[in-house]
Amino acid sequence: MSAPGTMEPTEVIARARAGDAEAWGQLYHDYAPAIFRFCRRALPTREDAEDATMEVFMKLRGKLNQYDTTRSFTAWLYKVAANHCWDSLRRRRTRQDKETGDLENVPLEHPDPSQLERLIEQRTSEEVRKALEKLGARARMALVMRYYSDMSYDEIADALGVRRAFVGVVLLRARHELRQALEGGSALAAGGAS
Amino acid sequence: MSQTPEEKSKHLDEMTCLLYIERQLDRARGLEVSAHTQECVACRTLLRAMERESRLLTRAMLEEDEPLPSRLAQFQEKARRSMQWIWGLVFGLAATGVYAFYTQYILLWQTQLEQAGFGGSNLLGLLIFQGTMWKGWQSVITLLEVLAMLTLAGLGALVFRRRIRRGSALALVFAGLCTVVSMPPAASATEFRKGQSPTVNKDEIIKGDVYLSGERVKIEGRVEGDVFAAGKDIEINGQVTGDVISAGRYLQVRGTVDGNVRSAGNTAVISGSVGKNMMWFGDVVTVESTGKVGGSVTMFGDSLAIDGHVGRDILFFGTGINVNGAVEGGIREKGHTLIIGANAQVGGPIHFEGDKPAEVSSSAKLASPVEFKQMEHRKEYRDSSYYIWQVIWASAYILFGLVLFALMPNFSEEAVKATEQYGAAAGLGILVGCGLPIAALIACVTVVGLFIGISTLFLWFAALHFGQIVVAALIGQWLMGRTQEIWPLVGRMVVGFVLLRLCTMIPHVGWVFKYGAAFWGIGAISLVVYRRLQPVIAPGMPSGPYTPPLPPSTTMGGVQPA
Repeated sequence: MSAPGTMEPTEVIARARAGDAEAWGQLYHDYAPAIFRFCRRALPTREDAEDATMEVFMKLRGKLNQYDTTRSFTAWLYKVAANHCWDSLRRRRTRQDKETGDLENVPLEHPDPSQLERLIEQRTSEEVRKALEKLGARARMALVMRYYSDMSYDEIADALGVRRAFVGVVLLRARHELRQALEGGSALAAGGAS
Repeated sequence: MSQTPEEKSKHLDEMTCLLYIERQLDRARGLEVSAHTQECVACRTLLRAMERESRLLTRAMLEEDEPLPSRLAQFQEKARRSMQWIWGLVFGLAATGVYAFYTQYILLWQTQLEQAGFGGSNLLGLLIFQGTMWKGWQSVITLLEVLAMLTLAGLGALVFRRRIRRGSALALVFAGLCTVVSMPPAASATEFRKGQSPTVNKDEIIKGDVYLSGERVKIEGRVEGDVFAAGKDIEINGQVTGDVISAGRYLQVRGTVDGNVRSAGNTAVISGSVGKNMMWFGDVVTVESTGKVGGSVTMFGDSLAIDGHVGRDILFFGTGINVNGAVEGGIREKGHTLIIGANAQVGGPIHFEGDKPAEVSSSAKLASPVEFKQMEHRKEYRDSSYYIWQVIWASAYILFGLVLFALMPNFSEEAVKATEQYGAAAGLGILVGCGLPIAALIACVTVVGLFIGISTLFLWFAALHFGQIVVAALIGQWLMGRTQEIWPLVGRMVVGFVLLRLCTMIPHVGWVFKYGAAFWGIGAISLVVYRRLQPVIAPGMPSGPYTPPLPPSTTMGGVQPA
């Protein structure tokens, strides 16, 4: 049985599509940890991530027939999870907390390369995860889609409902937000070089 | 590292660096960037830092810092196991609830209607094919068309939901519906008249349906079709071969209506002839001594006076009936008074449920004596079956809540949260709780609106019950603390509902709790529905100033202006 990143479980998917409960159990067993981690990174609380994981798999039961077997199952699964998480965040309107103001007002200044390098060197994975939790919903969602599930710019644009040309902007701003969170709000992201 | 503006302008911008490391630049631009970073230390450092940033992000996200929660690990098994007994319980209790609803409401209504001469084997058949709603096959076809249209609209909404934002999809579907509904049939010769006094003149013959609206609507001539009238005073002195469907303060039929009269208003006086049935939602109906209704009379309102002739039965819910004419069928009344005068003739059974026995003149000619039933005013408190039924009803409610919370967890959670907006929820609750059934009844008056009206009434009825469940969940949260998870919320709903049900059983004031909770809850539900119908604002994307310039050979991003 393959988990994300390894061989696609074509046979198990075919059996699950035919209603085989064992195959479902196998798919869940193999993919639930990855989907839970995806949801955990994307959503604000652990409880939200648990609920979302269950909901994604419940949704999957109804959607499995729509899966195009010529494409990557893992990528498709992440797409379903991303859509679900973003819908969930959007419904709560948490994105309004931070993002509207941020995107409109914060200028994209050129960072000081050396200072950025030092910052990256000094920070641990755990610190990055904590900083991620402080980001606005869309910034976090964009980073998770790109750097956790390796989704393409087209897929990110589709999930977030933005034009493809803006995906880079969204990601760059998300990185700036992240740097600010890592710095504890210092001015690196806002243009250390200027 | 401080740079002069000249130096800075030579460097790559951060967006270009990001797109370069993400492999989003085209080949030519990528080679340019590559060549530049060979020579420029600052840009090379930035590029390297950003690459490391990407790797750090990926590593931080992929690290398995938390094990899979046991709830999720066992989800599959638990779900499978729990389904077996939950669904057994669900179907068992649901069957009890449906049975209780059927025996206490549907069967009672059906029996009453059947005894009143409407016949029919089920409620839908009764409403559509029998009794006062019958308009011939054309109305059945219309109903089927509406059903087909609604189905298409539903499918359309499903198809477009993903492609168009929710508000737009709904607007599109409703606009389509309105267009189709408002389009007159191509082959029919329908007339529209409006003004201060729209009139069908004495020598005039209208072949087809006519829509009349104005302060004083008059039909002096002949209409070979249906009449749809709205106005303050509506007078029919001529002849209508079809039905009369009206809404107005005062309706007077001096002439002849061959079909049915279905109306809502204040007062109706029939001194002419109605060939089929009459249905009235309003205050007063008088069938004068010269008046004749060929079919049955159904009324929901204040008082009904029959001095003329009714061909079939009378079904009445209101204050009282005064019969001093001929009724060939039976009478079924639930009201306060029934007076049967000296000239009265009633050919069928008379069932009267009221506060005091009917006053029957000794000269009246009745087929059978009046069957009187004293209206019960909460005597059931002393009856043990009352408490058994309370338990069954409470179980059915809890089950209903369980199913709704399981089917719509997010909606339910949002509705419970919305109840805490006390003012808005209560205000909207009163508005929607009172306004919706009125709107639905008005829709029922028209043939096209019948299905929509009945569906709306059912929805309103379900929302009243769901409202109580939502408020019960809030009460549970007050007692047991807040929760974000669905099953603990269901537990709180159960506790809250038991308390609420106990409150509704308090003599004399129980209804205040019941309807208070229902209206409060319906307001909260309406708030959530309203919010969900709001167009979703596109995620606040930066507008023009933030759009990176796109050089001709670049697929994404761009370079800093020189």
